[in-house]
Amino acid sequence: MDSPINKAAPTIMHIDLNSCFATIEQQAHPHLRGKPLVIAAYPTPGGCILAPSIEAKKMGIKTGMKVREAQIICPNVIVRSPDPVLVRDVHKQFMKICGDYSPDITPKSIDEVVINFSQAPELKKGLKSIGIEIKKRFREEIGEWISCNVGISTNRFLAKLAASLHKPDGLDIIDYQNLKNVYSTLKLTDLNGINVRFEARLNQVGIYNPLEFLKTDDIFLRKQVFKGITGHYWFLRLRGWEVDDFENKRKSYGQDYALAKKTDNIEELKKIIMKLCEKMGRRLRASNNCAFGMHLGLVYNDWIFWHKGHKFMEPSYTTQELFSKIMILFFQQPNKKIVSKIAVSCFELKPVFDIPPSLFETNIEKKRKISLALDKVNDRYGEYVIFPALMMDMKNTILDRIAFGKI
Amino acid sequence: MQEKLFEKISVIFSYNSEKNVAIPYKIRWQLRDYFIKKLGYHHKVREGRELFHIFHVTDGNLDFKLRFNTENLSWILEEISDGQPD
Repeated sequence: MDSPINKAAPTIMHIDLNSCFATIEQQAHPHLRGKPLVIAAYPTPGGCILAPSIEAKKMGIKTGMKVREAQIICPNVIVRSPDPVLVRDVHKQFMKICGDYSPDITPKSIDEVVINFSQAPELKKGLKSIGIEIKKRFREEIGEWISCNVGISTNRFLAKLAASLHKPDGLDIIDYQNLKNVYSTLKLTDLNGINVRFEARLNQVGIYNPLEFLKTDDIFLRKQVFKGITGHYWFLRLRGWEVDDFENKRKSYGQDYALAKKTDNIEELKKIIMKLCEKMGRRLRASNNCAFGMHLGLVYNDWIFWHKGHKFMEPSYTTQELFSKIMILFFQQPNKKIVSKIAVSCFELKPVFDIPPSLFETNIEKKRKISLALDKVNDRYGEYVIFPALMMDMKNTILDRIAFGKI
Repeated sequence: MQEKLFEKISVIFSYNSEKNVAIPYKIRWQLRDYFIKKLGYHHKVREGRELFHIFHVTDGNLDFKLRFNTENLSWILEEISDGQPD
């Protein structure tokens, strides 16, 4: 069957900052430039590497490795902690520059953005020249060390693939003319969304490379490979048709923390849980939602993971409400053990204005208003100007972080 | 090596109206003068109502992270580093 490849002119541009956290650190600190550098969650030997610099990548250091593994590969590797304030500022500038070219821009993460030019007058200039111009503006307006990869195509999937072809500092276009050539040089796992387990599934039905994946017909993908509509989406995606132009609705808010000092002391753990609930609650309230579901996960010293989730009858909105529900779950642990990691999250979100007032609890409204007022004070005078008493001495515990895939 | 500090320092700041460039010119830290050669990055940060300007600068030997408080017009040296492993 002849594949109906999308022959339209490309209108989607994917931009990816190279080694984002590390490059930004090198931009701010000129003495780090040209050196193997890793940004790790913690600079200790067990700290997880969030981003290696381009120089470190060339030596074989990868995201997700431990600092000690990087130090074995390169004993002189420089280790730094992330600076979220700095990275967010670069992200803002990055978005501002991209926003000059189209009103339809979607940040995919702190270092990735998709620009849709289909309704933008700038399209007349040609996407390649716009890509070159954006790269130049990044260097001039953000910093000379900042480089990015630009991918151009007819859909988000192929634009992202194009942005990954020549790293660092590449600019590639994938369209109907070179699509097959590009696929012929790649492995299945080079495609965004295909991991080793998906690869194994494709291998089972005789698909061993992206070109064979492209040649597979729609019905076979739907009925034999993916057993559902996902197969059809892949059929379209591979041929340059847009199926990923949607926004996921947020379904939960969560915070987690790996304890620097592992403990089974209930008072210590309560303090940490309170701070996690305060951070989670601030985000929940800012979204004008309350949560009916709560979840607690604990990793113990012996690496055993215990978790418990529950949907409550009453919604939680204030930090106190979130904290008390999490503590209900906490006390359901079968064994009291030394805790090394705590994760809290709330789900089953509902707009707070849609919740009818309780007939029995008359103070709820007052408590919610106080909670909002406290948030406003903290917004105006600085984070943790007012905080729950349980959080005393916790100012530098649970640091600000940028989550993968989020901003 | 990177060292986190939080020390008040003296700063001479320059502004070039033709190039519209604003950058610390000289800093005095621990009775020594450091002439700034390059601005790595400048950004602003709000902590509540207070606005701070953060300057990442270098004198060619050391990188400095400086914080200017626009509320009380004071300068803090937050961090120094020489680009070597710790």
